[in-house]
Order: sequence, then structure tokens, then C-alpha cells
Amino acid sequence: MATAPAPAALKFTGSKYLVQRLVLATLTGRTIKISQIRSSSHTSPGLAPHEVSFLRLLEAITNGSQIEFSYTGTTVVYKPGLITGSAAGYGAQGGVIRHELSAECRRGVSYFLVPLCLLAPFSKAQVNVIFTGPGVITSSTELGDISADTVRTAILPSFRSFGIENNLELRILRRSNSGRDGRGGGGEVQLVFGHQVRLPKTIHLMNAGRVKRIRGVAYSTGVAGANNARLIEAARGVLNEFSPDIYVFSDVSSAPFVPAPSKDNPAAKKKIGLGFGLSLVAETNTNMLYSADITSPPAGGEAPEELGKKCAYQLLEAVEQGGCVGAVAAPTMLTLMALGSEDVGRIAMSKDVLGSEQVVQLARDLRAFGFSGWGLRDGDEEDEVVVSVVGRGVGNVGRKIT
Amino acid sequence: MAVTLGKRKRYVESREDEAEVDLDAEARALFQRAFEAKFNALEKPVVISQPEVEEDDSEELDGESEGSDWGGLSDGGDVAVQVIDHGISSGPANEMTRDELRAFMSSKPPSAAKVVKSSKLPANPKTADNDDDEGEAGNLKHDLALQRLLKESHLLDASTFSGPSAAPEGKSRLKALDLRLKDLGAKKDASEQVKMPLSHRRGIVAKATSREASRRKNATENGIILEKAKSTFKAPAKRERAVAVPSVGKFRGGTLKLSERDVKSIEGPKKRAGGKGRRR
Repeated sequence: MATAPAPAALKFTGSKYLVQRLVLATLTGRTIKISQIRSSSHTSPGLAPHEVSFLRLLEAITNGSQIEFSYTGTTVVYKPGLITGSAAGYGAQGGVIRHELSAECRRGVSYFLVPLCLLAPFSKAQVNVIFTGPGVITSSTELGDISADTVRTAILPSFRSFGIENNLELRILRRSNSGRDGRGGGGEVQLVFGHQVRLPKTIHLMNAGRVKRIRGVAYSTGVAGANNARLIEAARGVLNEFSPDIYVFSDVSSAPFVPAPSKDNPAAKKKIGLGFGLSLVAETNTNMLYSADITSPPAGGEAPEELGKKCAYQLLEAVEQGGCVGAVAAPTMLTLMALGSEDVGRIAMSKDVLGSEQVVQLARDLRAFGFSGWGLRDGDEEDEVVVSVVGRGVGNVGRKIT
Repeated sequence: MAVTLGKRKRYVESREDEAEVDLDAEARALFQRAFEAKFNALEKPVVISQPEVEEDDSEELDGESEGSDWGGLSDGGDVAVQVIDHGISSGPANEMTRDELRAFMSSKPPSAAKVVKSSKLPANPKTADNDDDEGEAGNLKHDLALQRLLKESHLLDASTFSGPSAAPEGKSRLKALDLRLKDLGAKKDASEQVKMPLSHRRGIVAKATSREASRRKNATENGIILEKAKSTFKAPAKRERAVAVPSVGKFRGGTLKLSERDVKSIEGPKKRAGGKGRRR
């Protein structure tokens, strides 16, 4: 097959938004070169363990990707391949890819889940990945990752408006908070993303509606279940005034028991990832979702009552911001809109969400990858902007061939 | 409390009025008792509201110092304390259905679970409005039942209707089944016995033929015209013969025996050879 000479690699710098750029590169098939990754750091220059892990994950679900590191790990060249998902013969055993996260991982599992969910609709076969190992943190983290529960209850439902809704599952097989000094977990999460599409549907979300119900999950791993009750009580104390329909589930589980070999006892095991947390989701009558997440700090020292209240206030803040998409799901939605068919999709967003660093950077990165710019105009509500995104019709390359 | 209040003032005013009010109160009490006997007890005495209004009237009328301080007291006692606690959940809105609970905590995204639920819901109305569908299917069913009844009515007798359904039972069921099979193209009765001693078979056949013969005889004697008798003649099947054997006669013990018939068949129709010759 004679191909046109590949366009020159897109060049980026810095470790921020690495995942976002890698995902866009994979979706568009453009080669990217990211340099100066923590080059100024003397103690830990180059890629962090979770970033390396994400690159490995990309390699696992694609076919023909080439990844080159520089000697120090401060520069990465990524030449993406086809997204094959968990197709047999590409490293999947029994249709499942097992992805191990190392104990050094500080990020929550949502760091991997959200971009994976973004790639999965455009994969050739279904995506079925189990995250295991001593680095899987299912709770939210202090680095700003959301919990796996929030991914399931706030991010996955937002794929529905793009016509991606069948056979999506996120199984939290074992819960874990972040371990001592925020490192490592020991949880287990399985993502099944079985709905592959040619192109996501064009969406027109203009009406955010009013909050009709609030749901949530309080989880405690390895600590007393009473923490859940206290979290829920405190959160309800704040929220009950605003919504009559609140239900927060309580999930108590024991802490994961992971191997921790030491010199004198190579078969030693230890309990890791103790703590508790709360994930809240508010749903409006037009099925828009706002979410909030909080977790106990690895060092401890915060009462569940305080955390519950904080989480409730976070949720109220997200509701106050309004718009058809919360800050958590906004990058995902906007990326999917950009990938959609060559048609104008519209979404009403809060100015706060639109003006957040991540969304602005996403807009810039999309431009860099050759996507069209966004059109903005004032929305019906105050502090609301209607973002019009013209899709580029990139869609599913794997599906085009077959 | 308020009742007594009203009374006291009316002492000053007039006796007639008091009597009227008393009557009214009594009547109310009676009604209340009757009501309470029939239903549950009332939460608060019904009487209160009425006299209070009158009390105000009386105050306007006389403006006496005696009643004034009482009025203030009763006003103050009427205020109820309302307690609102947001910390405690309440109300029916919190009661989720079991399905809803399970859906939220399942591994699927909650909205998808909802879709499943909603897609399940329309299924029920479908079964509900099956009446329309049933109209079609039901018509067919009734049609079939009627046709069967017409065809098999000769099998019906009193015993058929003893059961809950009019469908034939027992022997007649087997007969009906036989009839249906024949309708579908079966050659023989399913109930016909395949194997039995030859003597029995012969007996049965003989009995059947004699019965048929007697029926025909009776019919002709009484001048009844019957259907044409079926000829039971069967053409004899061709004999299987060995390969290198003459096609006529019997070959036994190295000799071919020809019967007279065989000879005739070989000779064919006799020609009157002499006649021809004479003509010449």
C-alpha cells in the first residue's frame, strides 16, 4: 500500500496534558513528540511511573504503535497504531487485557479509565481491560483524580448522548484508597466497553434543567463502616435542604492484602489502601450530571463529618456552575464532539467550566491536531456559553477498513 | 379552655344567648360522640373555633376589663412550635425501588440500567394490549375449534361434556386424533393393529365384509340406494423371477412345467388358418 509521506510529528513540551495529547494522537493517527518532560527536575526527571504505565496501556490496546523514549525519559516520540481493543491475538488473554499498575503509581485508576473510555468507542474490537496490581487506587486522590465510582456514574452515562450506550460496564472488583503517602493501592477494576461506533452522534445539549435527584456512594476500605454513615449523615445535612430525593449508598470492604516482600521475609504481605471517601452525583431532569468527590487523606486526620460536608459543598458548587456538563466530564464530551461527523454540535457550558485550564488547553491541543475551532455565544442562562463544535469526522479507522 | 372563656363572658351579656350557645355546643358534642363512635377519635375538640369568634364579638360589645386579660392569654397559647430538622431523612421520595437500588450499584452506568428498565416497561403494555393481537389470533383459534367441532361432532356423546372442556376425551379423543391424521393424509388408521394372528385378521375381515353385505342387502330390500361398493380386487403383483429362467411355467427339479393356461398364452389367440387357406 503506497501511503502519502507521513506528516511531520507534532511537537509538544512539558509533562502536563500528556495523556490528553497521547489520546488525540491515537485517535487522529498523528505522530507526536513530547519533549522536556520534567527536564528541570533533579530528583525525578522524565516520565513518571503512571505515565509510563499509560503508554504501556496504549501499546496494549493498539496494534503497531511505536514508542521511543530518550535516555533520560524526558522526550517521548509516539507513533500511534490502530486501536484494536481487546481483540484476540494482540496480547489479550481470553478477550481480556490485564494491565498491571506498579506500586509507585500515585494516580487514581480514573487517570487510565477516562482516556481509555475515550479511545474505546473507536476501537476495532471491544475493549475489556482489568487493572490489577499494587498500584490501583479506586478512590479519588488528592492529585485531582476522580473515583472509579464517579467514572461509572458521571462519565460513562455521558456517552449515551453520543449514541454509545450498550454493553458498557465498569466493575469495581476490589476497592482501595491510596496507600501510605498516597502511593499504591491494591484494588481491581474491570472496564468493559463493548459499544464501538463509526462516528459518535452529533449532540445538541442546550437545556441543563434542574437537579432532580442526588445519588452517591460512600466507601470505606479497611476501616469501620461507621465512617460511611458519618460521611452520609454530614453530606445529607447539607444537601437535604435542596433536594428531596437523595440516596447515598454505603460500601464497606476490607483492605486489599498485597504482597510486600522484605529482606527477611520474601513472602510477606501487607494491608494497603485504607481509608474512606464519598462520591456524589446530581442528576437533572434533562439527564445532565454534576459530580463531586472526596476522600480521606492518606495521612489521615480529617473527620468524616468534615469530608462529607466538603463533598456536599463541592457538589453544590458544581450545580451552581450549571451548564450541560460538569467540569469532570467536559473534556471527554468536547473531544467526542470534535471527533463526530462533520456537523455542528452544540453544548451549553458554564463559563467557569469552559474557562478552566484543562478545557482551554484541550481547545489548543485540538487546534494543534487540526480540529476546527469552537464557536462561542452567550447562552440562555446567565454565566452560560453555548459552545459549537464542528466535528472532523475522524471516527473509527478500524471500522472503516472492515 | 376556650369554651369556658366564652361562657364566662356571656354571663354578663344575656341568658338567652348562652342557652343558644349551650344548645349548639351540646349538639356539636353529640355529633362528635356519634362520629367518634363510628370512626376514630378526633384529634382536637371541634367546639373551639366557634366560641372564639363570639368571644371577639363580645369583647367589642362590652369592652369590660374583666375579660380583656383572658383574651391575651388564649392568643399566646395558640402558637405551635414547628420543628424542622434537615439532618434526618424523611419522606417517600427517599424510598427507592429495589431495582433502582440494584441498578445504581451494578457495574453498568446507572443511566443504562434505567434504559433497560424503561425498555422493560413498554414490554408490559404490549402484553396488556395483546387484546388487539389476540383479536387476530383468537379469531383463528375459534375458527379452528369450530371446524373441529363440525368434523368430529359424530364422536360427541353425553360423556364428552362431563369434563371442564368440550375437547373429546378417552376413546373419542383417539378417534378424533385418527380423523385429524387422515385429514392430513394418513393412509391407515393409527389405531389399526399391525400384528395379529392370521386367523384373527381373517375373522375381522370376514365379519366386516359380512356386515357390509348384510347392510347392502337390507338397503336393497328397503329400497335404499347406497354408495357404490368399492371393488376390493387387487391386481396380483408380478412375480420375482430368477435371472436365467423361462418367463412362463414353473421350473421345478430341472423340468419346466407349463400349465394349460401358460400354453394358451404362448400360443396366443387361435387363428383360423384353414379358413384363410380355403379362401385362396
